[in-house]
Amino acid sequence: MTEPSLLIQSAWLIPALPLASAAAIAAFGRRLPWHGAEIGIGAILTSLLIAIAIAWETFTTVDPAPYEAAYAWSPLGGGFVLELGMLIDGLTAMMFLLVTLVSSMVQIYSREYMHGEKRFTYYYAMLSLFTFSMLFLVIANNTLQAVVGWELVGLCSFLLIGFYWEDKSNQDAANKAFLTTKFGDVGLIVGVIVLSAGMFGLTDTPFNFLQTIDAAVAGELSTATIVLGMLLIFVGCISKSGQMPLHVWLPDAMAGPTPVSALIHAATMVTAGVFLLARLFPVLAQSATVMAVIAVVGVITLFFGGLLALVQDDIKKILAYSTISQLGYMVAAIGVGGYTASVFHLFTHGFFKALLFLGAGSLIHAVHSNNISDMGGLRRFMPHTFWTFTIGSLALAGFPLTAGFFSKDEILVAGDLWAVNGFATGTAVYWVGLAAAFVTTFYMARAWFLIFMGEHRGAGHADAHGHDAHDDDARTRTTRTTHDAHDDHADHGAHHADPHESGRQITVPLMILAVLSIAVGLIGSPFAQEKPNFESWTSTTVIAETTYPFLAEYAAAGTGIAAAAAEPSAKILHGPPTWHLDLLLIVLVVFSSAVALAWRFYGRGLPAQDPMMRMGGLTRVLVAKYGFDSFGYRFIVVPVRDRMSAWATRISNDVIDGAVAGIGTTTMRLARTTYTVVDQRIIDGGVNGAAFSAAWWSARLRRIQSGDVQRYAGALVAGVILLVLAFVAVR
Amino acid sequence: MTGLDLIFAVVGLITAAAAIKTVTSTNLVHAALFLAVTLAGIAGVFLVLSADFLALVQLVVYVGAVAVLFLFGLMLTRAPIGREALDSDHRGLALGVSGALFVLLSGLIIAAFGDVRVDTVGGPRTADIGLALFRDWVLPFEVLSMLLLAALVGAIVLSRREDGESGEVEDVTRILLADDPDLDGVDDADASADGAAGEVRA
Amino acid sequence: MSLVGPLLLATLLFSVGVYGLIARRNAVLVLISVELMLNAVNINLVAFQNLLFPTDVSASGHMFALFIIGVAAAEVGVGLAIVFNLFRNRASVDVDRVDAMRW
Repeated sequence: MTEPSLLIQSAWLIPALPLASAAAIAAFGRRLPWHGAEIGIGAILTSLLIAIAIAWETFTTVDPAPYEAAYAWSPLGGGFVLELGMLIDGLTAMMFLLVTLVSSMVQIYSREYMHGEKRFTYYYAMLSLFTFSMLFLVIANNTLQAVVGWELVGLCSFLLIGFYWEDKSNQDAANKAFLTTKFGDVGLIVGVIVLSAGMFGLTDTPFNFLQTIDAAVAGELSTATIVLGMLLIFVGCISKSGQMPLHVWLPDAMAGPTPVSALIHAATMVTAGVFLLARLFPVLAQSATVMAVIAVVGVITLFFGGLLALVQDDIKKILAYSTISQLGYMVAAIGVGGYTASVFHLFTHGFFKALLFLGAGSLIHAVHSNNISDMGGLRRFMPHTFWTFTIGSLALAGFPLTAGFFSKDEILVAGDLWAVNGFATGTAVYWVGLAAAFVTTFYMARAWFLIFMGEHRGAGHADAHGHDAHDDDARTRTTRTTHDAHDDHADHGAHHADPHESGRQITVPLMILAVLSIAVGLIGSPFAQEKPNFESWTSTTVIAETTYPFLAEYAAAGTGIAAAAAEPSAKILHGPPTWHLDLLLIVLVVFSSAVALAWRFYGRGLPAQDPMMRMGGLTRVLVAKYGFDSFGYRFIVVPVRDRMSAWATRISNDVIDGAVAGIGTTTMRLARTTYTVVDQRIIDGGVNGAAFSAAWWSARLRRIQSGDVQRYAGALVAGVILLVLAFVAVR
Repeated sequence: MTGLDLIFAVVGLITAAAAIKTVTSTNLVHAALFLAVTLAGIAGVFLVLSADFLALVQLVVYVGAVAVLFLFGLMLTRAPIGREALDSDHRGLALGVSGALFVLLSGLIIAAFGDVRVDTVGGPRTADIGLALFRDWVLPFEVLSMLLLAALVGAIVLSRREDGESGEVEDVTRILLADDPDLDGVDDADASADGAAGEVRA
Repeated sequence: MSLVGPLLLATLLFSVGVYGLIARRNAVLVLISVELMLNAVNINLVAFQNLLFPTDVSASGHMFALFIIGVAAAEVGVGLAIVFNLFRNRASVDVDRVDAMRW
């Protein structure tokens, strides 16, 4: 590709349109006939069209060079340039397509789903802003801009998770999501700084993605920079992409409206971490340590995250834990060198998870409850939702020929190849991945049987939560009267007639996504051996030509890892996908056995006691979510909130006392005087003494706070003078 | 000591003297007028430094607009006149701090730049300034214009009457009367102090 | 020409401004003092630009001086509006009587 086409050059329109629409909706959306929805939908559909065109162009161009354009700003003069730019390659185009498509489906869907909400316009403005943030992160050509998009995504998710902010629990969920991801953001920002510090001096634009990648591949970055920087960035990905142990915010993020959950889980939030790892893949591929850490975290998450879904009753929580598990697959794939597999799974997962969430929203809409124990027999009432949800479930479970099958198999194959290279993580990804596939199939089959098969357990029971015969801890914990029901319906939910199919604005996006959940798998499947296929689309020259440097080192050092860099598997790209009949067979066995097991338990409706609740210790552990939440509450929330002040007082007292004792040791006499003072204070009652001293000091110190601004100004200048004097004296 | 130095010394001395009078004058209007002289003197300093464009901007913005604005401010607030009324009881603190600051800074400056002498004085031409302003600095420039707009709107909002009758000029004298029954929100201490201040004004 | 001259003048103006800022009771005079300090900085900027970098066409020093003038104009506008508001509410513009924000 010599000269980038006008289309590629105008890619900036894709994020710009949602931003403009967010502003326009906020400015005058309320006065429009659709209360702003038309602006949001129109803008995102236009973005979608551009994204499709760009995706087509980058897809059909075999071996496209990345296109980069940036507005450079040099605030500090020479040697340091900040950029606001765009980097368009296959990966960007793929993310554009995914984000705009899911977002437009969600926005069309929301017009019916959120109809009559009092903050309808605000909701649409936030959706647009959310979409913009993610697209801004995706289009970024440098890490700093990506961090900006990343933070905006966090902010928007906070606002949307807390959309029903009248409820304390929703506020808490929003705060939890914000603070948890913010914790990881600290790592991300420090990581970005570390990487750019390594780049400093090599180039004028230390944050630039391509230059960072080039420098890393050329070995110009020190190992310490790469390991430290990438691990810190990975901390950000752990929190954003819901990896253990910072996944705790993701299930709680279900407090937001269901379409928002679809957006968060499929396209705009949790994929950010995986995307960033994919973007910086050539950098992290320089270090075996980084890849091992990533793989281990991914493997842990994909298995244990999936287990948690077994005991959930809330359909949205089941899907949330399945998202955690699927993200674990993606991260694990990154960690075992499955770049294409990870990105492909990110792509396909976006479609079928959006489908599942929107389908769940349709179900919730119909029965006014989040709980699968309140559903049952819905296939008769909601045929469209039924077959679309079924396709989504099959794709998630990895049923052959669905999109999820091809992408998940690619991950397992990548693990296998990595195992050939001598890394135990590859073996782990392969076998744990298979086990988790069994778990996934089982919980999706459980949900599917309970939702669609058997007899309808009725909206009339919805109000009787907590009094059911099979009541238990997990039920009461996850049972929450849904806010997703319309206000006008919620009041007489108990007398509601049979559930009915949702309207066309809900079912049509479901159908589109259902078709795509099958279709998008084909471009990365063994059917697409020839270029262009998914691999040629999402990989650039750098990725195609990079090998893992440490493989040769290990081979030379003879550390037991046998593979040499000359082997084909040392390349990052695995080449076009091929059929693995053995794997296909295993997957089929796993699938059918999991479905059979689910049928045995749930095929005849909801048993009197859910077998998942009768697994003894395992159930207790899972219901307690491995104790992460209570651990976090007890050791982070409570100390910070309740005990910080007490500790601060105690520490200050200790410090004061310590200083006094220190002086005391210098001279015996001073020590004795001090001792008596301390002693007397203790005799008089240490607490009273501390309180008294605090009061005494504050009574004097508060005089400083005279309210006289001029005295403040004088003190300020005097302080500056003293500082300058001190500086001069030190010099 | 060149001729330029001499001219600078003259202009600088006038500026410095006017500045000192600005903060020490016991008459409010005089203080404002001395400010105008100081600002004009600074414009002169700019001219001596051959920054002619900035000198004109200084004259137009400061001497032309800001000084007049201050005069309006003084007239509208009808402040009393006299040393006790104009200076707070921080004069000692102020003298000490500013004196120390001056000694410290000038000491540092002389130590750092005492031997710097240049033969040619010259800066960018006005054309260069224009080019720089609208090419490299155009974004900050636009941001500044937004700031000015915001300040304008803010100033209008702040000085409007509470009950929002727009277009009417506030009758500020009404509230000057300490015994005005409409005087809301002023506590007793202030009201009595206003009485004392009112006498001075009367 | 000597560089110290303008710098010393700027220092003097700045110190005088600090004096006025702390010593003056009338809020308008305090604002005037702030203007003196801002102008002192401008002298520094222009002196450094024109004496040390006379051939630099990027004119950063002049740019900063211009922006300071602009920001100062905005500051005077808002500041005087606040002073008027203060005057309307309290019939006085003495800054040492506006001390409600204390212990």
